[in-house]
Amino acid sequence: MQADRRRLNAPAGGTAPPVFSFAGDEALAKRPIRTRKPDEHRKIFLRTGVVPSASGSAYYEIPPQGTQSEEGSLVPTSSSLKVTCTVHGPRPLPRNASFSPNLLLSTHVKFAPFATRQRRGYVRDASERDLGVHLDTALRGVIIGERWPKSGCEVVITVLEGEEDAWWGDRRGDEKSGGCGMMSVLAGCITVASAALVDAGIDCVDLVSGGVAAVVRDGQSKLEQTVLDPSPAENDVKAACVVAYLQSRDEVTEMWMKGDVGAETEALVDHAVKAAVMTRTVLAEAIKEAVELKLGDPVEPANGAPKGGKGKGKDVDMTG
Amino acid sequence: MANGANASPGLSFSRETFAKLTPAPFLHAHLKQNNSVRPNGRSPEEFRQTSINSGSLTHSNGSAVVRCGDTAVVCGVRAEILLASDIPHSPGDDIEDDDLIEEVGLLVPNLEMSTGCSPAHLPGNPPGTLAQSLSYRISSLLHLSNIVNPDDLRIQYTEPKTDEDLPDEGPKQVTKAYWTLYIDILCIALDGNAFDTAWAATIAAFQNTTLPKAWWDPDREMVVCSPRSAEANSLRLNCLPAASTFGVFSTISDSFVLADPDAFEEDLADETVTVVVASSKNRRSSLLSVQKGGGAVVGKYLAAKCILLAEDRRS
Repeated sequence: MQADRRRLNAPAGGTAPPVFSFAGDEALAKRPIRTRKPDEHRKIFLRTGVVPSASGSAYYEIPPQGTQSEEGSLVPTSSSLKVTCTVHGPRPLPRNASFSPNLLLSTHVKFAPFATRQRRGYVRDASERDLGVHLDTALRGVIIGERWPKSGCEVVITVLEGEEDAWWGDRRGDEKSGGCGMMSVLAGCITVASAALVDAGIDCVDLVSGGVAAVVRDGQSKLEQTVLDPSPAENDVKAACVVAYLQSRDEVTEMWMKGDVGAETEALVDHAVKAAVMTRTVLAEAIKEAVELKLGDPVEPANGAPKGGKGKGKDVDMTG
Repeated sequence: MANGANASPGLSFSRETFAKLTPAPFLHAHLKQNNSVRPNGRSPEEFRQTSINSGSLTHSNGSAVVRCGDTAVVCGVRAEILLASDIPHSPGDDIEDDDLIEEVGLLVPNLEMSTGCSPAHLPGNPPGTLAQSLSYRISSLLHLSNIVNPDDLRIQYTEPKTDEDLPDEGPKQVTKAYWTLYIDILCIALDGNAFDTAWAATIAAFQNTTLPKAWWDPDREMVVCSPRSAEANSLRLNCLPAASTFGVFSTISDSFVLADPDAFEEDLADETVTVVVASSKNRRSSLLSVQKGGGAVVGKYLAAKCILLAEDRRS
């Protein structure tokens, strides 16, 4: 593969991830239980303006739930979600591109190698391209493209930590990614891309936010329940749906459903829309804070920036 | 260009306009003053404050997020097992400890810059020359500094005594497998000086790394690890090197050495000097490497000055 020549490779012979033995330590391998109510979302942390050299940027995080560190286990019981997005644009199209009367949107989604339980490679694989296409569908409905002819816009998403598809203890053979965990990642990507687009100042019809809902089956009682913001580590997911929703227009720009829902399709979509409305409140809050910061005191240093590093330089006379 | 004494009305633009139109004279005008101040408000010898946040990633053995001004880098260290029987050309038993890591290739750093960190690094392309050369520099610096102890990376097995062994021979220790550390460094935001920040992230992630307790299971013929974090060992580091990069901006008449250049200054500086200073437990600080390239301005005197600045920063 061409990419292998340009990167430092693993030692010849191949390596394998460590295998843990839980003999005598079954307590460490307990599956976490969902403690939230069925319509309660996990806490979201969203912040814009993290990459000053890009036109717009945002960082989205669902912090890990408190159950992991107490047990003293090296194997994490559940995952959290950390996504960062940068928007570069509107920029002029390359020379050889044909004329386009609308803004040309291109999305890239990439998982970092340390994002999931199994180490991922550096080359984009099919699931990442798939996420990129879903994200593109979601954003295309919201951007006012005709204001930017002959221009392109790049939305780049890096997933630093992603949700999983099932509880790791279940190890269902070779279940490829593309399950419910991907949907939570997609919902996060939509929200963070929306925040970054606003930060970049690209005209949008409305704020688009992503929400996930799932039909879960409780292992013991065999009861089925629709929950918002599912965490696959906590429940067995029978069917799931993610939507990208515009609240003020009551429109859905993207919908992705997986699993066997039976006759309840519309109900599941409604639940996902409810989840999207919850994420939108967080989104609006974060954007409002960012705008207030921009219009307010401009000398206020951002988190992490040194006091002297980005101060105003003194004006000089340019002569000669 | 207003000059009050002359009657001619000078043109006066905003700072950003000058910076865009004539970057080199803009920088020069700042630096040639008596108390020279760079356009970003720092003095030529001032470094940016670094803030480090480690241990935030759940799926890595060690991780760190380092922010140096507007440059932000995330580093994750993942450990995987390489069976000794899988190595095609096994190193001999008499190999020096120092060479073992390099010979088998147990440290695999990779710096990924095509993450959209700056408009020049958009995804979709394989790593360009900058990313490749930085990855290689980090790799060679890791091997050069002997920062990781090879004993930490060996998984040994004490073979039980058989009848063939001589009675006074001790039990044989065989290395059945090695830990391979994948060091994945992602650049989230770039505002000049990627190397220093990437190196700081690598060291911080190493300090945070813990390796699970591993042993060779002869019945299953594989390496098994214990999930208890109380039994895990943290990686011992032999020294803590810190890197400092300087850019040299030269015009026809003068040249200026700027510590920790940001993106604007990096574009204008032809020559760069990188000094790596380490401090280990016995000695206070020692110079590990000096690397310079791009021009002929920095001679012995200026290089010595840079080294002193790097040592000051390190302390």
